[in-house]
Amino acid sequence: MTAGRLRVRCPWVVFALVASAAHASAQGADADAGADDDAGVELAGDRGVTGPSRPALLPTEPIVVLPPVKAAPQIAPVVEESKKARPPEAPIASADRPAALLKTILGLLTLITLAYLGGHPRVLALERQLGISQVITAGFPFVMLGWLARTPVIGLLNDELLAELSPLLRIGLGCIGLVAGYGFSQQLRAAPAVLQVAAFAAGVPFLLVALMCGPLLLWMSGDLTSAALRDPVFVRDALILGTAGAMTAPSSTHVVHADDSQSMLARTLRTEELAGMIGLAIIAAYFRPQSGVSWQLPGTAWLLLTLGLGGTLGLIAYLILRRVQEGPEFVLLTLGILGFSAGTAGYLRLSPVVIAFLAGVCLALLPELPRSRLDEALRRVERPIYLLSLIVIGALWQIDDWRGWLLVPAFTLARLIGKRIGLDIGLRRAGLELRTKERQVLSMAPIGSLAIAIVVNAQMLYPGGSISPIVAAVIVGGMLTEVAFQLASRRSVGPAENRSGA
Amino acid sequence: MNVLMLLLLAALMHATRSFAVDNEPGSSGMSLAFGFLLVSGYYAGRMMAHFGLPKLTGYLVIGVLVGPPGLGLVSRAMVESLSLVNGMAIAMIALTAGTELDLARIRPLARTLAGITAFGIIATIGLIAVAIWIARPLLPFFAPLSTAEAISVTLVLAVVMAAQSPAIVVALGDELRADGPLARTVLAMVVLGDLLIILLFAITSTFARATFGASAHALQTLATLSWEIGGSLFVGAVLGALVILYLQRVKVDAALFLLAVAFSVAEIGGRLGLDPLLVALAAGAVVRNASEFGDELHHQLQFPALPVYVLFFCLAGATLHAEVWAIMWLPAIILAAVRAVGLLAGSRLGARLAGAPPVVQRFVGYGLLPQAGLAQALALLFNRVFPEFGVEAGSLVLAVVALNVLISPVAYRAALARSGEVGAEVDSFRPTATSD
Repeated sequence: MTAGRLRVRCPWVVFALVASAAHASAQGADADAGADDDAGVELAGDRGVTGPSRPALLPTEPIVVLPPVKAAPQIAPVVEESKKARPPEAPIASADRPAALLKTILGLLTLITLAYLGGHPRVLALERQLGISQVITAGFPFVMLGWLARTPVIGLLNDELLAELSPLLRIGLGCIGLVAGYGFSQQLRAAPAVLQVAAFAAGVPFLLVALMCGPLLLWMSGDLTSAALRDPVFVRDALILGTAGAMTAPSSTHVVHADDSQSMLARTLRTEELAGMIGLAIIAAYFRPQSGVSWQLPGTAWLLLTLGLGGTLGLIAYLILRRVQEGPEFVLLTLGILGFSAGTAGYLRLSPVVIAFLAGVCLALLPELPRSRLDEALRRVERPIYLLSLIVIGALWQIDDWRGWLLVPAFTLARLIGKRIGLDIGLRRAGLELRTKERQVLSMAPIGSLAIAIVVNAQMLYPGGSISPIVAAVIVGGMLTEVAFQLASRRSVGPAENRSGA
Repeated sequence: MNVLMLLLLAALMHATRSFAVDNEPGSSGMSLAFGFLLVSGYYAGRMMAHFGLPKLTGYLVIGVLVGPPGLGLVSRAMVESLSLVNGMAIAMIALTAGTELDLARIRPLARTLAGITAFGIIATIGLIAVAIWIARPLLPFFAPLSTAEAISVTLVLAVVMAAQSPAIVVALGDELRADGPLARTVLAMVVLGDLLIILLFAITSTFARATFGASAHALQTLATLSWEIGGSLFVGAVLGALVILYLQRVKVDAALFLLAVAFSVAEIGGRLGLDPLLVALAAGAVVRNASEFGDELHHQLQFPALPVYVLFFCLAGATLHAEVWAIMWLPAIILAAVRAVGLLAGSRLGARLAGAPPVVQRFVGYGLLPQAGLAQALALLFNRVFPEFGVEAGSLVLAVVALNVLISPVAYRAALARSGEVGAEVDSFRPTATSD
């Protein structure tokens, strides 16, 4: 095989691996399911047919769905199953009112105090000294805030409230996807060499995380037989973890100031996001949760539907935003588009992150859009929604689940090693040279918000208990990698430069 | 173009909802309704503006059209699930209204406000009471009631029907960037009217419960009322102080903090037996009058203002119980007409006797016509307070509200336009949010 042909094929290796894993798992599950009563298998043409025969509307490719899942108590408020019989919230009894009022006021006062302290120069200096300023900037304290607010002692975020805030989380996920898609499309014309680096920098950690965390996932599931390797739930969880591990925060390029390499870094990191989106789209298409959607289609059809829906919503968003002049109207419509996209994706049990990502790509590619206004609207909308979503994510975080803590070291280590190896291979194959600082950014960069969005999205798609430790591992892994990256970059880049970047 | 986009969105909404087979997807449905109402409300508002009508009317009309009373694209479950968003919207609108209540500018209006209160609101309550009494044959729920019971129910209904809507007044003022004696008097008047209606409702409903033989303790009523009004004002003042503290000490990300305040008011306020509208109004008024951060708060509230208005009024339209029109249309039209005559004539007389400027005398009544949240909330309270006839009486009020909510913003917009106060707002922070 010539180097040129290899170069062309390399970027697709990761995607082929993901697709084949999904397909293999689908086949295995199909065989298992077929032996019983085909509970999870239903052909499109069979639905509602009472007569003797009727040709199927779609090809008779086996459709595989996951076993039914019952929402874990922690996630239940933000998924559909728990919506049915929620009693209306009772008024607070007169005797308890002063305490409730005091708690609310104290809560707001605490927020003010935290916000005040967060912006105080001495606290900022201390954060830099401890290497946690980027952790703070990335919004992780909001995760802790959400977790604290749901603890029984504080009790501010109860199940009813979480249920009412759940659209916020969906919109937040959509917002992360839209921003990523809008940013990625600017890198579409990236050089093949950059694509190659990105493919290896994402693909190797993906594989390594899946391989290193896989045994742990198996052990946690309690089934160590070889049959468990073909269990679609195990394959799905490993793919989700691997996809999250492949992501890198684009914001980490701030520690490097050379324009050319920053551009190359940005392109690589944005291209990695594409890999993440493809991974999530494949998982959502091939590992369908049972029930809730009137269409029963093969995984490939769901994948095509995802592409079509994302493109359609992107086109509609373009038609809506094209003629808008006022800034506030842009904010309104952007919020509306995000809500509509997230809701549509939710109805079809597809990923709002992927749908919004595709819509974002379309928006960036179509002409005559007032981009500065859209940038401004996204800038205004993104951070509040993101931070509020982190509060909800924090509330859903099962901090006491030991399985999550067990996954953290394996996940973080596998990702770190994978990034390093992947980058080395990618650079060697692409024939590119990077300075130490850029190599460090690419190999040690933190996970970023998209990885968190991917696992939270998976948790909403599959609200059973097995995703919960993955979410915990990615959140904690995100914090650890932020701190490690901050400390390492400060040592090599220099405190002054680092400070300005942060 | 606007119509085409609305049709496209409606088709997509219909198609999307058809995917769910077993139940209404909870959080997906909420996100979908949220997005759909925002975008379709925007287009409906533009259409109305094209015809010289308030955008607000467009939001309300699209809510009726796509909501449960109309095409049902937004189901009742979706509307109910957005109640927190709705509550936050009310709190933010009331905060904005509070920042408009500059006591130094309102103090000279005291005489006018007193005159309008006496001749406009209280006299209108009397007029509506007489009209209800005369229209009793058209209202079946009066048939089994004794005279004493009928009088008490008439009074309660009259009080509720006289309620105004600070939300509509604030939203229209923002949309038209209106400022001047009329806009200021109307805003102060509807806020005052809101307080008065809450007070009178508590008194008349206690009286009514007593006539129905239920235990109605005057002291308990007084305590409840003190808590609802006094407690709301106190809590609002504390929240106002917290907002000042934030704007003074922290400054950054104030929009997020204000969202937290609105969330607390909406979520905790109602459950504590406080009136969220009053709490937020008081908080805004404290910031305006006790610090120099009034303009800053107003500015911070402008960023989310447009989505808040669109969603709030779309939901208001979607929650209109249009089905009661089939039964109550005749008494509703009569009572809405009587209310309008009473408010227009009474407030004109009151303003004239108080020596208000001619523009106020002529147009202030139009600002008192809009009805929305408070009247709806009190109508829904009927079911709980008076299980014997609450559903029918509540339906009558809702029918009157439905009529007023759709027509009165148009009338008030025309009045503002004729008064010459449209576009007079000079605050550089003023929104372009709902401007044409």
